[in-house]
Amino acid sequence: MEKRKASRPRPKATTPAHKHGKGRCVAILRKLSAYLDDELSGEICSDLRRHLGTCPNCEEFLTSLRQTVTLCRHQPAPALSSAERARMRANILRAARPR
Amino acid sequence: MALPATKPRPDRRAADPSRSTASFDALYRDHVDLMYRFATRLCGETEAAKDLVQETFLNAYRGYNAFRGDAQVSTWLYAIASRACMRMRRKRKGEPDRELSLEEFIPTSEGEFRLQIPVEGLSPEEALQNKQLRQALDDAIARLPKKYRMVLILRDMEGLSAKEVGSIVGLNERAVKSRLHRARLFVRRELSARGIAEPGHQHNSRPAQ
Repeated sequence: MEKRKASRPRPKATTPAHKHGKGRCVAILRKLSAYLDDELSGEICSDLRRHLGTCPNCEEFLTSLRQTVTLCRHQPAPALSSAERARMRANILRAARPR
Repeated sequence: MALPATKPRPDRRAADPSRSTASFDALYRDHVDLMYRFATRLCGETEAAKDLVQETFLNAYRGYNAFRGDAQVSTWLYAIASRACMRMRRKRKGEPDRELSLEEFIPTSEGEFRLQIPVEGLSPEEALQNKQLRQALDDAIARLPKKYRMVLILRDMEGLSAKEVGSIVGLNERAVKSRLHRARLFVRRELSARGIAEPGHQHNSRPAQ
């Protein structure tokens, strides 16, 4: 994978690395979540697919966005122990009851 | 607590504490693990998550009479937890909840189009066995401004529909989808070359000028 050289100044955010149809790519970028969530109409969807077929950068961007969403969906979360569950229940009931 | 206004009902639970404890126990038993998972994702660390779970169930206990049953119990609890989280964090930090603009997510170098840690050809479970990836994902989510984090967690991690998320955070579906898209782009960028290769992640932790 290509690494950025520390000495090279970062280009401004308004100059994307797309080599062609910059405005088109930005328009595509706006729709990618809706595309992944299957919310686009048939016509817009085929438009988008057509663009992806000719623009490897957008294709790659979409792949990485899809991977990101998939990773979020599968990120594990820690579980409570039964002792913690019981301790928290006691705290809540203590706080809820007037003394 | 800020529950939707409802007609007052006679408090039957107050007259019979053992009955109120029994119904609380059922609510707690069935939902504590769900709320703890949600709270851990929101808070990023276990002690704050436990505080948030306790606050959530305390508010649920006190507000149970106002729950009209026209939403799922879990949706109602998510809403209580979300409001409690917003209050807790505001009290602690007072950090501005900056807006994310789409323009900031346009890649500026070739390496940024793909994720820095390769996950191609792996199942999500296999990919997430990579500790560095798990940590990078947690860090990226923690760096999201909280109103974006809330929507991403509810939609992509808790698996709720955009409509349910809207009812929990008080937004229409369109606004939920817009926030979700920006949140996903933010996390994607953090996992790309631009996010991981640069020390300190300063480009995204600074409020937009």
